[in-house]
Amino acid sequence: MKINFINAQNTAIILFFIGVYGLCARRNIIKTIISLGIMGGGVILFFLSINRTAESMPPIFNTDVAVAADPLPQALVITAIVVGISVTAVALIMFIAMYHRYGTTNWLKAMRHRMEREDE
Amino acid sequence: MILYAFILIPIITGALIYLIPKKQVLWFAFALQIGLMALSIYNFVLIRINGPYEVVLGNFEKIAGITLRCDTLSGALIMLTAFIFLICFLFGLFDKFMNNLFIFFFLTLQALVMTIFLSRDLFNIYVVTEVSTILIAVLIMFKKDSRSMYDGMLYLITNIAAMTFFLFGLGFMYKIFGSLDMDIIGAKMYDVQDVKTLAVPFAFLMTGVGLKCAFLPLFSWLPKAHATPSAPSIVSVILSGLYVKCGIYLFIRIREMFMPALEMDGIFLTIGILTGIVGFVLAMSQKDIKMILAYHTISQLGIILIGITAGGEYAYYGGVLHIFNHAVFKSLLFLSAGIIISKFGTRDISKIRGVFRRMPYVSIMTFAAMLGITGAPLFNGSISKYFIQSGVKGGIVEYALILINLGTIISFIKFSQMFFGQGIREKIHVDFGKKSALTIMGIMCLLMGMGGTLVISGIFNYNVSINILEYIKKTAVYFISLAAGYFTYMKYLKKTRFIIDGLEFELSVNGIAISMTAFFIFIAASAYIIL
Repeated sequence: MKINFINAQNTAIILFFIGVYGLCARRNIIKTIISLGIMGGGVILFFLSINRTAESMPPIFNTDVAVAADPLPQALVITAIVVGISVTAVALIMFIAMYHRYGTTNWLKAMRHRMEREDE
Repeated sequence: MILYAFILIPIITGALIYLIPKKQVLWFAFALQIGLMALSIYNFVLIRINGPYEVVLGNFEKIAGITLRCDTLSGALIMLTAFIFLICFLFGLFDKFMNNLFIFFFLTLQALVMTIFLSRDLFNIYVVTEVSTILIAVLIMFKKDSRSMYDGMLYLITNIAAMTFFLFGLGFMYKIFGSLDMDIIGAKMYDVQDVKTLAVPFAFLMTGVGLKCAFLPLFSWLPKAHATPSAPSIVSVILSGLYVKCGIYLFIRIREMFMPALEMDGIFLTIGILTGIVGFVLAMSQKDIKMILAYHTISQLGIILIGITAGGEYAYYGGVLHIFNHAVFKSLLFLSAGIIISKFGTRDISKIRGVFRRMPYVSIMTFAAMLGITGAPLFNGSISKYFIQSGVKGGIVEYALILINLGTIISFIKFSQMFFGQGIREKIHVDFGKKSALTIMGIMCLLMGMGGTLVISGIFNYNVSINILEYIKKTAVYFISLAAGYFTYMKYLKKTRFIIDGLEFELSVNGIAISMTAFFIFIAASAYIIL
């Protein structure tokens, strides 16, 4: 039996952990925010792939389709997308405010700036 | 209908207050808090008489809709939320920073915290937690001090990453159970065919929740956020006294939900002990007053975790009672720390001396809280710690608890140094609102200590009794620890570099992300082995 490993679910998991890698390994604040976006993208893909088969149809207008796609995760995903967008926007605005104070895009330098101000 | 009121009234009033630019709105918000407190007590009495009840939003079926359910634990936490916010408004009644914008954020945060305690829908909890994360990051940065910029940013990024883990866990849960309602999932947990599939979603959910409650490798964001220099002290109170309890509450619920299939209490017990020990060690080495208190929050969260996971009803109710006790004494400590910082103009504990002489009333109330957190007899901490210790009697865990308590005592002996010593004699005036807030909290510390058994039987309808002989034994242990702690501090620790220079321990965002991944892999692997 041939199993197709390149399906939506596995892609979602890989995308998510690419985002986690970005969080772990990149010191650039912008890249951190992008990594969060990639993690969010992985989660969205995962939600969309839940209980979905190739034959399933959206139960819109025509309610007697043979195999209906589960509408609930898709409704959830819209909320998740909205939350993700607003979170990214807030993070970017905070980053701009922080950049005006510290003048750096590097987490370690920002941390050092904060420590120096501690002694004042 | 009452459940809707808890969520909608604060948000709507907050929005109205933001629109009306008048000075008197603060009094209006204060009156609203008194109303909410009364309503939450009424709600709790209803639950105790009629049992838990629930409403499904929009009259959907339970499997698809959002359920709000109020049982005794939720009801009691709702009361706690109303109480702490009431105290905060009383404390800030004459403060300048309490403008319309701040009140709007504050009231919205209250509604969100109440939603977390009431909602039974995991996705709803995710959305509400995410919104409250943004609000708290804004509150941390509220005065736009350049240090709190970093603290707020760190808080935002780490917590959002944690909640993304949580959301991925929800995806797995929906795939397995076809619903996101905690009650339905809990009921279906018995029928899971292939239990090994539960390991990964459990690890995802626990990584998210574990960062919220600052378990061992994941606590690095907490002191920065809770003790940021510029945030008003009532924000620290809400964060440290109340908001971390949302994490603990979610931990209790998710643990219950997975209980039929997966039990990992042993591992979480170990994590709790280590968290308690690391928390007090780092607290001892801090110079900043608020930092000391923030690290003690981590240590006390470890104790709560021990109580919940140690097994046996005694320890469990002790742990839950400690949630309430910790909220009371830690709020009081942060409030008085806020007064001391603003009046003395410094946060360095070695530079503040002679507080007792200048502010006797504030000092007496702070002593009540310090006696509470160290578990002195008759004060609230002693009762919950007594129950936890009775639950784990005679094992290594009991000695670990005594060790954590000893560390807490040593650290608070260091903390108490600032009350003594010479200084200017001139008295400092503290306004009426602040004094009455401190008084209420101080009295609560004592009352919850004297009537600890009544609190447990009143809240959870679980009758416990205190064995007088055992209690005297615990009292003796307390005084021995006090003497040992005092001796150790004065004789050895006072002069060491560890106390004077402090210990720098801080993870950057990358470090926190790596520890989060490590925690995830650890939990997933151990869950896979246990199942």
